Amino acid sequence: MKALILIYLKDLIRNKYTTLMIILVPVILYPTLYWGITQFLMVKSGLTDNQEINLSLDIRSEQFLSVKDSIATIKNFIISETSDEDFNKNSMYLLVNQVDSLPFYTLHLDSTNAIQKEFSEKLKVILSDYYDLQLGQRIDLSPYDKDYFNTFWVIKHNIDGEYENMTRILSMIIPLMSIITIIAGLGTGAVELTAGHTEDKTTETTLTTSLSRFKIIMAKLFATNIYGLIGGILNFSFLTFVIIQIINTLMMQFAGKSLEFDWSLIFNFRTISITFLSLTLMSHIMSLIFVAAAGFAKTRKEGNILITPFFMAFMMMSYVVIIPGIEPGFIFSVIPVLNIAMMIKLLLVNDFQILFFAQTVSFSLIWMLMLYKYLLPFMLEEEIILGISNTSLLKQIKGRFARWKKK
Amino acid sequence: MEEKIIIKNLKKEFYDEQRGTVLAVNDLSFTAYSGEIFGLLGPNGAGKTTTLRMMATLMKPHSGNISINGFDTIKDPQNVRKSMGFLSATTALYPRLSPREIITYFANLNGYPEDKTEERVEHLIEYFNITKYADTLSEKLSTGMKQITSIARTIVHDPPVLILDEPSSGLDVIVAQKIHEHILDLRDHGKTVIFSSHNMGEVEKVCDRIGVINNGKLLTTGTLNELREITGKYYMEEIFIYLVQEYETVKQKETGNVND
Repeated sequence: MKALILIYLKDLIRNKYTTLMIILVPVILYPTLYWGITQFLMVKSGLTDNQEINLSLDIRSEQFLSVKDSIATIKNFIISETSDEDFNKNSMYLLVNQVDSLPFYTLHLDSTNAIQKEFSEKLKVILSDYYDLQLGQRIDLSPYDKDYFNTFWVIKHNIDGEYENMTRILSMIIPLMSIITIIAGLGTGAVELTAGHTEDKTTETTLTTSLSRFKIIMAKLFATNIYGLIGGILNFSFLTFVIIQIINTLMMQFAGKSLEFDWSLIFNFRTISITFLSLTLMSHIMSLIFVAAAGFAKTRKEGNILITPFFMAFMMMSYVVIIPGIEPGFIFSVIPVLNIAMMIKLLLVNDFQILFFAQTVSFSLIWMLMLYKYLLPFMLEEEIILGISNTSLLKQIKGRFARWKKK
Repeated sequence: MEEKIIIKNLKKEFYDEQRGTVLAVNDLSFTAYSGEIFGLLGPNGAGKTTTLRMMATLMKPHSGNISINGFDTIKDPQNVRKSMGFLSATTALYPRLSPREIITYFANLNGYPEDKTEERVEHLIEYFNITKYADTLSEKLSTGMKQITSIARTIVHDPPVLILDEPSSGLDVIVAQKIHEHILDLRDHGKTVIFSSHNMGEVEKVCDRIGVINNGKLLTTGTLNELREITGKYYMEEIFIYLVQEYETVKQKETGNVND
């Protein structure tokens, strides 16, 4: 089997068309990524209309207790009173003190959280109005000029330290880019090794060697896997390098300093090893799907058509990771590819959620076993492996459809 | 002479949307011996390739048995594959590998001893005179060069049985002549060769015995002289047409009887 995997890999690597495809496909797809982000930003206001947010309100002066009623006019704010400084990722904290008989606000928020930032803007308007009201009353009582008084502070608090903004950006881009580049490589490899080899009739001659059908299919799967991973990682590394260079150039031009980031936060042994293992698992699942789908085709063209729906579905699904504020949950851990993307995202922001990780790995393994159980028998059938059009699966589907139509 | 290939009552059906169930091979039986070239002659769609594919364990027959070198294709496909080399109707070479790489890899895939592989590959490269283009990628080779490489790949593990599906199809006369010479030489080295073709002339020239196949049915088998005696015709083309017409007449009569 090792010899066959080597043949397949050599054939793939020397193929200019496939090499071009794994470079071109992600390059074409990245603009859609930007499109995705802009679309998200456009609908974000719609999203926040229904989004609820917690506000811990700490009023230290009885004189300003009524500020709570003013804040309560903001839709979807869930206010809870507190007497301690309370920072956490999922809520904002507002401290109301008294200075010169006027309210003095301190607002803590996660500045990288788009929803918190939007709510803080609404809050600022309410708090300013409340301040002005109090100030009006104060000026009536004493001869001070209005400009003499401070308004309030807003402390933008980044929970994970100074590199959080960059970490957050990378945690969105890295899972998405790595998955898209790997899926592109897997799809290209799978089509070439199945439909391409059926078209060239090389599968037929390989089937007459001493190797069993099972080993030949496994060799195709492993070669697709290796090709997808190598191609994906190389392409991804190249693109990451280019993106960093672009950011650096822009920063030098506009900010007069180069990008400062502690790369060890991302590129450390734990992150790299877990990311690699989870991507290997994801790539195995995707190779099974692609090899099975393209296996039904007689030509490369047909193969590409057959894998496209799966390619698009899984690629689009992985876009979910770039939406801020989406938290991992059970449903995410069940969906293949998306669960791995989410897991890598969490890993990069140093949010190691053991339950989600365990669920993701378990469900990915279950998916893999199920695909082996249900797809492998089809792949081994002579009609499919030899590329004869009336495949038994299609026959079954047609038969069922005909019976349903008759009814 | 030893019986190397025994085929008994072979049947294979296909399902076609327009035609329904099609009997591609119908009750086919023949035997081929060591040191013999057995020609399977028939028009396109006669069932030659399907028969060869079943012999090569690519397809399973619906009924009947095939024994190659003493191994059954259903019960022991692994040993059948070890005992034979299969050349498909197309050259079927990995386009981005060179002839040397292809021959070497197929020796490995067929379990040829690793320590002897290099020597064997070099021998074949010299024997088939492909030294000049041994390291050129297959996609850059001419059809003739590809076909010669394919034959070298087919015999690299030195199997006793060779199944060649239209080995000289689409080749010019000179290359076809070379390939015929190689096949005759392999026969002289004791190999059993199944040679499928729709070219009457080359079957007449190369094959020791000939089986004429039409509509999945083997009409008759015999040496060229035996076929001449049976049909009373001299040239293979005339023999073939006579046999096919005879078969059609018998079939029409049978259908007529059923209708009566």
